[in-house]
Amino acid sequence: MKLSFPYMGPTIVYAKLLELLGHDIVMPPRPNQEVIDLGVKYSPEFACFPFKVITGTYLKLMEEDVDTFVTSGGHGPCRAGYYGEAHKRILADLGYDVEMIIIDAPSDDYKYFYNILKKLKGNNSWIKVLQTINIVYKMAQALDELERKVEILRAYNKNSKFNKIWMDIEKNFYKIKNLSDVKNLKAKYIDKLSEFNNTIPAEKERYRIGIVGEIFVVLEKSINYQIEEKVNYFGFETERSQYLSEWIKENIIPFAGRDLEKIANKGREFIEINIGGHARENIGHILDFKERGFDGIIHLKPFACLPELISQSVADSISEKYDIPILTISIDEQTADANILTRIEAFLDMIREKRYREVV
Amino acid sequence: MAVLDKFFIKEESVGLNMSQIKVGLPAALLYYYYFPFWFKLFDELNIELVVSDNTSRKLLDKGTKNAISEICVPIKIMVGHILNLKEKEVDYIYLPRFKSLKKGTVMCPKFLGLPDLIKHTFPEFKNIIISDIIKSKSDNISQYHNFINLKEKLNRSKFDMKSALKKSALFWERFRELLFSGYLIDDFLKANNIKSLEKIIADLEQSSLLPQSKQQESFGREEFIDIALIGYVYNVYDSYINMDIIKKCKELGVRVHTFSMVKEEIIESELKKLRKPMFWEFTNKLYGACEYYLKNKRIDGIIHLTAFGCGPDSVLSQILEFDAKNYNKPFMTLRIDEQTGESHIITRIEAFVDLLRLKKEEC
Repeated sequence: MKLSFPYMGPTIVYAKLLELLGHDIVMPPRPNQEVIDLGVKYSPEFACFPFKVITGTYLKLMEEDVDTFVTSGGHGPCRAGYYGEAHKRILADLGYDVEMIIIDAPSDDYKYFYNILKKLKGNNSWIKVLQTINIVYKMAQALDELERKVEILRAYNKNSKFNKIWMDIEKNFYKIKNLSDVKNLKAKYIDKLSEFNNTIPAEKERYRIGIVGEIFVVLEKSINYQIEEKVNYFGFETERSQYLSEWIKENIIPFAGRDLEKIANKGREFIEINIGGHARENIGHILDFKERGFDGIIHLKPFACLPELISQSVADSISEKYDIPILTISIDEQTADANILTRIEAFLDMIREKRYREVV
Repeated sequence: MAVLDKFFIKEESVGLNMSQIKVGLPAALLYYYYFPFWFKLFDELNIELVVSDNTSRKLLDKGTKNAISEICVPIKIMVGHILNLKEKEVDYIYLPRFKSLKKGTVMCPKFLGLPDLIKHTFPEFKNIIISDIIKSKSDNISQYHNFINLKEKLNRSKFDMKSALKKSALFWERFRELLFSGYLIDDFLKANNIKSLEKIIADLEQSSLLPQSKQQESFGREEFIDIALIGYVYNVYDSYINMDIIKKCKELGVRVHTFSMVKEEIIESELKKLRKPMFWEFTNKLYGACEYYLKNKRIDGIIHLTAFGCGPDSVLSQILEFDAKNYNKPFMTLRIDEQTGESHIITRIEAFVDLLRLKKEEC
C-alpha cells in the first residue's frame, strides 16, 4: 500500500504521522503551475479552487504509482465534505484504480470509521498510535509557534533570510523520531530567532495585519500568492486565523479547550447560525483581531466559495461598524502576481495613511 | 384557554389596525416550491400579501448591482425582488431561513446565510425582515416552531397560527399531489392571489385532460420527445432568467419532466445507493430524480439546467455526467447567468432535440 494525501500547509505533519505508523508514503508535490493546470483540466469548471488543486495533486501522484489516498471528509454544508467522493469518481473515470480513505466524523457511519481506523493503524498497538499522535501534535504546535515568530520578524528583516530559516526548520523537523527531538529542535530555533528580537521597533510603530479566510487558501502559501511574505515585505506583521495545530486541537484531541467556539460566538451578531466552512469563525476572528489592536484584515477565499461569500457580504458592515479596513481577495487558477501585489500595496498604504491621520 | 386567547388577541388587533399590515413575499428561490402554502397561510391569517413582480431586466439589474459580483444568479435575483418589495411599501418582508428539510441534510450555505446577507447589505431592512429558521423532517414545513417570529410580529394567537398552518399544509399537499401526477409548477404560476390559485387547483383536480408530461397526441407532424429537465425550481420556473425554456421545449414537441414529478420514496431509494449522500436537500432530490429518469426507458434525454456559480451543482453535474455516460443517455448541461441573449439557448435546445429525434428514428 503506497499512501499519499493532499498538500496543505505544513504537510510534513501528516507525512510524519503516517510514516511513524509504518506506512509507505509518497510526499505529495507542492502545488505549482503544472499541478494546477492538471487539476483545472480534469475538474468541473465551477468546483472551488482547492478542489482543482487537489485533483491536480492526485493526478501528479499517479505518476508515482500511489494506490491509496488519505483525505478528510465532513458533513456539509460546505462542498469540501464531498471532495473525496467526487475525486474518487473523477479518478475512476480516468481509469485509475485507487482507494480513497475518507476520514469522516465517526458519528456518520461507525462501521466505516472503525474500518478505516483499523487500516491506518496497521500492526501498531493502540498505545503506539496514541503516542504517535501526541508526537505529531507537539510537532505541529512547535512548527506553528515558530511560524508565528517568523511572521513577525520577517516584517523587519530581509524576506530571503527568514525564508531560508523556515525551510531549514521544515527540513529538520521532518527528521524527528521522538518527543525529545521535537523539544530540542524547538529550543534551538527559538534561540536562533530571538537573536533578531532587537529588530522589532517600539510598540507604536508596529503595524499588524490579520489574515482570515477559507482554511486551504489561508494555510497553503503556494496557492495564496505567498501573501504573508508580500505583506511582511512592506513592513507589516501578519497573523493568521488558522494554524494547523489549533485545527487538530479543536477537531481531534478530545477534552481540549474549545476556544474556537468562543470566537465563533463573537461572530453571531453578523451570521446567526453555522453556515458551514469557517464563515462564522472568520467573522469572530475579525472582531478578535480588532480587539487585539490589529490595523487591518485580509480576507482570502477561493472563487465562488459558498460560505465565504456570505462572510464577504457582511464584511462591509463589520468594517464600518468596528472601523477596521478589510480587503477581500478571491483566489483562483489565475496567477497574476503583480495584480495582487498592487492591491496589497494600496491597501497597506491606506492603512498607514489612516493611522497617520488618526495621530494628527 | 386557547379560545379565550384568540378572543383577546383579535380584539386587540382590531384596535391596532393589524389587518391593514402588508407583508411582502419575494417571488424568488423557494417561492416556486412553497407559494401555495404561503398564499393560503397569509390568507388564513387575514394579512394582505404583496408578491414581488416577475423577474425582469430592471429587477435583475438592481440585484446584480447590489449583491457582490461573485455570488450566483438566483441570489442576485432574490436581492432584486427584495428591493422591488421595498418600492411597494410593504411593512414587513417575509424571508425565512431554510435550514433543513430532512434529518441529516441542510440547504446550500447561501440559503442558510441569506437573511444575514440581506440584513447587512441593506441595514435599513434590518427591522422589517421576518426570518424564522425553518427546520423540518420533511418537505412539509407547517410545524408551529417554524413560525414563531412571524406569529409574534403579526400579533396572532398560537391557536390562530396553528389552525392556519394546518389548513395551509392541506392546501399545499393538494398542490403537491397535482405535481406528482405530472403537472408543472408553471401551470400554477399564473395565479397571483389565493382566489385564482384555488380555482386553478380545483379545476385541475376536476380536469379530464392529461397534463402535458403525459399528453398522448402531438398537434403537428412529429412524435413527442421526452426530456427530463433537471434543475432547481428557481432556475426551471423563473421564465425570465431561463428564457422561457419550458415554453420553447413545448413548441418543439417535447414533453417536459422535472424532479417535482418524482415521488419522495423513489428519490429515497435512489439515494440509498450512495455510500454518502450529498448534504444539500434539493441537490439530493435532483440526484435521485435524475437517476430515476436515467433508468426510465421513456425518457429520451436529460438537460441539466444550472446557474452560473452554483456550488452544489458543480459537484452534482460531474456525478450526473458520469452516470449518464454509464446509462448511455444523452445529457446536456445548460448554464444560465445574467446575460439575456436568447439565441444560444434556442440553438442548443433545438440541436439537442434534433439529435434525440434522430436517435429515436434509428432505433
